[in-house]
Amino acid sequence: MDRRFRQILIGLSSLVISACSSIDCPVQNTVSVQYEIRDKSGEPLSITDSLSVITERLDGKYVDVTALFNSDNVTLNRLIDKSAFSLPISYSHPEDILLFCFSDSVKTVVDTVWIKKNDIPHFESVDCSAAFFHELTGVKHTTHAIDSLVLINRSVTYDVQTVHFYLYPKTGN
Amino acid sequence: MMSKPFISISIRKLAISLLLLVSASASAQSKFFSLEKDSIPLFRGFSVSFDLVGLAMMELSDYGQYEGALRINLHDEWFPIAEVGYGKASHTDDPVTCLRYETAAPYFRVGIDKNLLKEKHGPYRFYAGLRYAFTKYKVDLSRDNFPDPVWQWDTGFGVKDEPCSYHWLEVALGADATIWGPLHLGWSVRYKRRIAHKDGVIGRTWYVPGYGVDGDTRLGGTFNVIIDI
Repeated sequence: MDRRFRQILIGLSSLVISACSSIDCPVQNTVSVQYEIRDKSGEPLSITDSLSVITERLDGKYVDVTALFNSDNVTLNRLIDKSAFSLPISYSHPEDILLFCFSDSVKTVVDTVWIKKNDIPHFESVDCSAAFFHELTGVKHTTHAIDSLVLINRSVTYDVQTVHFYLYPKTGN
Repeated sequence: MMSKPFISISIRKLAISLLLLVSASASAQSKFFSLEKDSIPLFRGFSVSFDLVGLAMMELSDYGQYEGALRINLHDEWFPIAEVGYGKASHTDDPVTCLRYETAAPYFRVGIDKNLLKEKHGPYRFYAGLRYAFTKYKVDLSRDNFPDPVWQWDTGFGVKDEPCSYHWLEVALGADATIWGPLHLGWSVRYKRRIAHKDGVIGRTWYVPGYGVDGDTRLGGTFNVIIDI
């Protein structure tokens, strides 16, 4: 009995020792807003103009954010012949202001887009970087080249498959 | 029209299988749950125990727990048990993520162990058991302000007193040995499964009092000093 009991104790001790820990941070850990360009009939539309998106930083400088999440689809910071793209969203600011610049060989038309949102701190583990998820609460825009920008999904998370906005350009742009 | 007879045949087969299984296991079950017939009385007293693993974790890492248990000895075979503990985590200024996580709360487990050894009244016991556990806790999470990577605004991150709760089951395998008189020492290994939880607005929690680190490992263990009273 003593020998059997000792074997059981050794077995249990091994199990406890083997219960090692691991770090499980999400592999896809960028939070971005997904846009899809559509024509009036609702079908995906590849824009023939080039599109670049810029925003104003805290220091007053304008930065181009087109290539941030679209590096495979962007040439010289311009999105051409694409019907979908991703843009950054600020960590914690009630409203983001983006300038959508549509250019052809002759001119550039700029629309300003204001996106209102609520920011939600998101936590996975003390080993994973701090992140923010967002709830989009409203959008407004000028209408030089954009016909309408329709909010489809309000929740912005790590999920890059969910489209948040349908962008309908004006015909002829 | 074709699916109807298929469903009824399947249900009939399943019912017959279940009946056979129930009848076959009924005798085994009654044997498992019945007490051994001998001259030893049913009620054999109480024991209290204290866990040393949680205490060591508390001293050596950012989290741990103080835990005690009260156990009833029924004929050296069945041991209804109530475990109460106080779990605490204080992870401050992570060198990589700069996150601070703090929580402290009591937790409770109730369950039962069965002594699986043939020689039940001897100095050794080998248990298998089941627990239901519950805790309600609040989380403080924060980090120093950091700049937004695109806009460069200063960003604060955190929540204070975020209310959370956690319910889980534990399957326990344990052993203990009489050392001297009423004093026993024993190990237990626990396999834990979460059954319900509320993580608040932050998405997930890290250390859960009594459960350990959420999503880390489902195995846990205790090393108990047990005193019969």
